Amino acid sequence: MDYQIDFDLIFRSLPVLLRGLLVTIELWVPTVLIGLTAGFLLSLARLSKSATLRLPSLFYIELFRDTPVLIQLIWFFYAFPIIIGVQLSPFVAALLGLTLNTSAYSAEIFRGGMQSIAQGQWEGARALGMRRSKILQRIILPQVFKRMLPAFTNRIIEIAKMSSLASVLSVHELMYQGRLLSSTYYRPFEILTTVAFIYFVLIYPGTWLSARLERRMAEKA
Amino acid sequence: MSYHWDFSGVWSRWDLLLAGLINTIKIAGISIVFGVIVGLILAFLKLSPRRFLSAPATVFIEFYRNTPPIIHFFWFYYALPVLANVSLDPFVAAVLALSTQSGAFYAEVFRGGIISIEKGQWEGARALGMRHSQMMRRIILPQAMARMFAPFVERSFELTKTTALASTLAYADLLYQAMLVNSATFRPLEVYTTIALMYVILLVTASTLARIAEARLTAYR
Repeated sequence: MDYQIDFDLIFRSLPVLLRGLLVTIELWVPTVLIGLTAGFLLSLARLSKSATLRLPSLFYIELFRDTPVLIQLIWFFYAFPIIIGVQLSPFVAALLGLTLNTSAYSAEIFRGGMQSIAQGQWEGARALGMRRSKILQRIILPQVFKRMLPAFTNRIIEIAKMSSLASVLSVHELMYQGRLLSSTYYRPFEILTTVAFIYFVLIYPGTWLSARLERRMAEKA
Repeated sequence: MSYHWDFSGVWSRWDLLLAGLINTIKIAGISIVFGVIVGLILAFLKLSPRRFLSAPATVFIEFYRNTPPIIHFFWFYYALPVLANVSLDPFVAAVLALSTQSGAFYAEVFRGGIISIEKGQWEGARALGMRHSQMMRRIILPQAMARMFAPFVERSFELTKTTALASTLAYADLLYQAMLVNSATFRPLEVYTTIALMYVILLVTASTLARIAEARLTAYR
């Protein structure tokens, strides 16, 4: 291989790429916070005894899980504004798509967690005179969080990866800046490899943590 | 809502969307086959007690699992040709990206299935005088395969959804064809809703088939 790597270019492009990384984080953090919260509410609807809550939430969850994220982002940017009559900025459309997608996936994690808690715990708490909201808050949710921690960590990692798709809507995040720089300098190898490494540094700690948690839980069990 | 849905533009170009759907199925199928091959090689390397075999496999797997899929598509399409002085068409670059990234995930599925088989099964088979290859074929793999099936299918669905990213390299998959139809009709709401539903139908059909296959595979229990 006689390809000459231009290391100087990598250093010169770092400031722009790091500015992109900041936008990636601006997409990532709100998606995690809003998406997980919405996912919790959605899982309550999904587990509800009333069919008017259960069926629409089931439909919503399956719709988001059975279509590519990229199409969801494109739909929210190009199609959704037609229904609501307001043009969305690429950032808002991407955030909306990522958040709703996350709510669907995390609803399934919450549901799995809640269903894994033995029925006896609900009965015991009810026998103590607790209301449903109290039982959830004091007995069920703390256990769900603990038990599903690796699954939540995985989801948070997936969100960081999914956020790169916002580049298709021209949100100026890390992937977008990488594509722009690589075509400007016509040095795709240096720039794209650097972008991949930045993502790796961002995401790997989460994977490591999730694997550690999983191992520790397996040892306890 | 004052918007009038008009699907006539989409209907009159159904042949374009159908061609896209066929291309999506084609690229998913080919990438699953290559992904399984990559995954098997990686799994056996990682299971090896020799560090010079297992360490590179671990690095490969972790790198792919901790970077966004879109960067792999761009890397193979733009960076690899510069580095290796070859030119790749979008289809080849997309298959390379899809099969290496899914290979990394498949490897963990395969490895997980094999190490989940209890020690006693290995010892029992050895006590019966079986050779390693016999033991694998008759005792370990049939049980491991049944356990791997569900995560394998889940990964293959993820891969199928990820094929939508091939549209960013101008491969004529379902999403790319939808963009063509959209630019001819200016009906993004109808076009993108239609293809989202086409993905749902594709995945629901595939998951029904997978459930039937799983019932057969685990019939021995």
